[in-house]
Amino acid sequence: MLRTTKRPSQLKSNSPLRSLWPAMLLLVLATPAAVMAQWLNYPTPGIPRLASGAPDLKAPAPRTPDGKPDFSGMWFANVPSRDNCRTGDCIQEERMAREQINIGTKLPGGLPYTEWSKEQMKVRRANGGRDDPHTYCMPPNFPRAWTLPQYMRILQTPGLMVVLHEFNEAYREVHLDGRPLPKNPNPTWNGYSTGHWEGDTLVIETNGIRDDMWLDIQGSPVTESARITERLKRVNFGVMQIEIAVDDPKAYTKPWSVTIEMAVQVDTQMLGEICNDNEQDVKLYKK
Amino acid sequence: MTTTNRTFHAVKYRLIPLSAFVVLCLALVPAAWAHHSQSEYDSRKKVEVEGTVSKVEWKSPHAWIHVTVTNDKGEKVNWRFELPSPNTLMRRGWTRDSLKIGDRIKVTGSPARNFPDIGIATTIKDSNGKALFTGVTEIYEPEAESGGAK
Repeated sequence: MLRTTKRPSQLKSNSPLRSLWPAMLLLVLATPAAVMAQWLNYPTPGIPRLASGAPDLKAPAPRTPDGKPDFSGMWFANVPSRDNCRTGDCIQEERMAREQINIGTKLPGGLPYTEWSKEQMKVRRANGGRDDPHTYCMPPNFPRAWTLPQYMRILQTPGLMVVLHEFNEAYREVHLDGRPLPKNPNPTWNGYSTGHWEGDTLVIETNGIRDDMWLDIQGSPVTESARITERLKRVNFGVMQIEIAVDDPKAYTKPWSVTIEMAVQVDTQMLGEICNDNEQDVKLYKK
Repeated sequence: MTTTNRTFHAVKYRLIPLSAFVVLCLALVPAAWAHHSQSEYDSRKKVEVEGTVSKVEWKSPHAWIHVTVTNDKGEKVNWRFELPSPNTLMRRGWTRDSLKIGDRIKVTGSPARNFPDIGIATTIKDSNGKALFTGVTEIYEPEAESGGAK
């Protein structure tokens, strides 16, 4: 019983459903939530919408009361859903950021791995991914977490941004209160992040991440020596761009940066995913 | 490439030749819903079974279904197939009740490299031939504003 409800943006202009969408929206609003499948179709309140009821993805980026761009909302990598599963019988949907496989996929020449990194990569490739911390249900470490196939929700206050991640129901804090980065911190999965504004761009600096982190499925390393800078820009209501700059002399011969794009997700909800609830893949890998 | 007429209870393997390069790529490329590389499955091989659902595991990180299949020797074999995450399936409109114990289904997929009777499902059809768990997540798709390397 596949839910066949089409979003208005996906309806043909002459579709009778398009003209009925406002009425359908009202019907949904008037329907008790208890009869719905959680809140997977529940309309997100307070967002810009077109007359059709669809979100106005081209609307200006929202701002907080103090005039800063507001990144609050749910996000997923801005990759088009492929149509091969729309018409076929396949179960597998290829809705995936290319950077999930290789975070440097768009870099001419690829990532500038050091010899140490190349040795790490050789072992990781040979093991077919079984050593990937993500396979073992470890936390979704940023910046890799931006590319994973789960949703995120950003909560933004003047002094603190929190990124919630569906995978393992994890969180990340970005302090916006002017504090300095810690010196010689105890390494963690996400490290320690502070943010400051450069115009409408939120610049997040991170240090103190663990020495054995992966940036993608193919095993690109990032280590404790890394200083990571993420520059967040909300282009409009629908799109956020993130420039990820990595300066990690242990893993890379020179600093590099890539830009990824995130798409806002509305009329849906966060669905927690506790990986160790029923993980069965690790033992299937060749020993 | 054989497709036998044993449409009932048959277990069939089909080999599809692919270049080593493609095999490597497939081993490294996960499905959108995967939390792992999926190299534990041999995508060069195809498995197709028909049987009765004996268990549904609707849990993270991936749903699993168990299918009781009678093999060519007349023995009952319990196959287990990995599906996308329940969250991915729910976003397509499927629920934990979409498949029930006792339902007859036909599953195609790829087998695990190192373990028998385990596979990853690529299609599942009910006894009427209706495809289950298919579809895409209905989302609003903003136009890409830029991207690419800096």
